[in-house]
This record gives sequence, C-alpha cells and structure tokens, in this order.
Amino acid sequence: MTADHWGFVLSAYGIAAIALGAYWRHLCRRDRELTAQRSHAAQTAAHRRTNPVSPVQP
Amino acid sequence: MNRALGWLAAVGLAGGLVMAFGVAPREITQGNVQRIMYLHVPTVLVAYLAFAVVLVASIAYLWRRSPAADRLAHASAEVGVLFTGLTIVAGAIWGKPTWGTWWTWDARLTSVAILFVMYLGYLLLRGMIEDRERAARYSAVLGIVAALDIPLVHFSVYWWRTLHQPPSLLKPGPATMSPEILAALLVNIVAFVLLYVYFVAKRATVLRREENVPA
Repeated sequence: MTADHWGFVLSAYGIAAIALGAYWRHLCRRDRELTAQRSHAAQTAAHRRTNPVSPVQP
Repeated sequence: MNRALGWLAAVGLAGGLVMAFGVAPREITQGNVQRIMYLHVPTVLVAYLAFAVVLVASIAYLWRRSPAADRLAHASAEVGVLFTGLTIVAGAIWGKPTWGTWWTWDARLTSVAILFVMYLGYLLLRGMIEDRERAARYSAVLGIVAALDIPLVHFSVYWWRTLHQPPSLLKPGPATMSPEILAALLVNIVAFVLLYVYFVAKRATVLRREENVPA
C-alpha cells in the first residue's frame, strides 16, 4: 500500500484556493474602483451643471 | 443574478470538498493522494470549456463585430488561463508522489503547456494593442487558431506513448471508476463549471464598464 502524501493533497487544494480567491478579490476590487470612478464622474458633472464656469475675460 | 451565481458556486465547491474528502473512498493503489483528481480533472475540463467558448465567441465577433462577443472571448480566455494554470500545478503536485517527478516532457503535459502559453499570448496580445477594434480582431484570429490545440491535448494520450493515463471521462464506453468516485468527480465538475460561469459573468461586466470609462 502506498503512503498517503497528505502534504501533497493539501498543497494542491491550498494553492487552488489561494489562486481562485485572489482572482475573485481582484475582480471585486476592480468592480468597486469602477463604481467609485463613475460616481465621482457623475458628481463632477452635476457640479459643473449647477456652477457653470464663466468665460474668462481678457 | 451575479451574486446568486457566486453563492451557488460557493455551495457547489463546499459540496465538492465534502464529496472529495468525505464520501469518495481512499483509492486502493495510489492512496489518498488520488484525491487531487477531484481538483485536477474538473479544472482541465473547465479550461476546455473556456477555450471552446473563446472559439465560438471569436467566430461570432469576426462575423458580427459584436463587442459583447469580444468581451465574452476576453473574459473566458482569462478564466481559462487561470484554470489551465491550476491544472498544471495540481498535476505536477500529483505527479511527484505517483510518477516520481514534478514534470516530464510527455505529449499530454507538453500539449497542455503549449495551450497555456498560447492563451497567455492571447491575453498579452490584447494588452499590447491600444486600438480596441484591432485588438479584438487580432485576438479573435488567435483565439480560433489556439483552439486547434484542444483536441491535440485530449487525444495526445491515444496518439503518442505517454506517462499520463488515458481519460476516465470524455471517452467512448462507460466510466472506468467506482460509482462513489464518479459521483464525487461529477459534483466537483458541476461546482467548477458554476465557478467558471460566475467568473466569466463578473469579468465581462467589469470589461463592459471599463469600456464606458472616459479615457
């Protein structure tokens, strides 16, 4: 009967968990960044509408 | 929708772990190290699926010039590369105690390595070209050409003499494994397919939102 090599089994599953978790976190972070950018752009546009910049006089 | 899919994938993966470590018996010749199969086989099957989706979406893009098809191809290629990398790592870890080596240049391992490098190249090509339309067109062509390696990977164990065993699934005739092992494997395959769908949906959403961000 062969040895069980639990260390190899745990390494394989551990590496997979870390890689999949890291990719998931990367996607969530990028999603949050885009949401923040969009809300910032919307705020800036609303600010410009309410406070239009007067043309610069020479 | 995306959140529900994520939870479904998480539950599936938890169920897969229970099946792999609690229900499936200890394999008689390899011992418990064979439990790596419940990770290794689903990840490679999902990688096949991912690259098949890249092929179909690339053809659809070249035909219709649909940005949605391009985003699907891009997202699926990225997730496919992740799953191929996991297949290679899990296979190497399984190979060391059973074959006595982490890696050997046999036909199956080499063709999988080529598959990994080709789709990595696909992602690099996308990143290198600034013009979005041109990047989509060139990568669609590469996505179609690279898919030719998928049958080569699968049938390599029949066409050449290899150290890698022939497939236990996706072959003619009934599966050559016990019902408990087969059930554990199928639960894990379903779980990883759910995870793939969740990742691709999320990545495609992020890509669509990135396109709408003003430069």
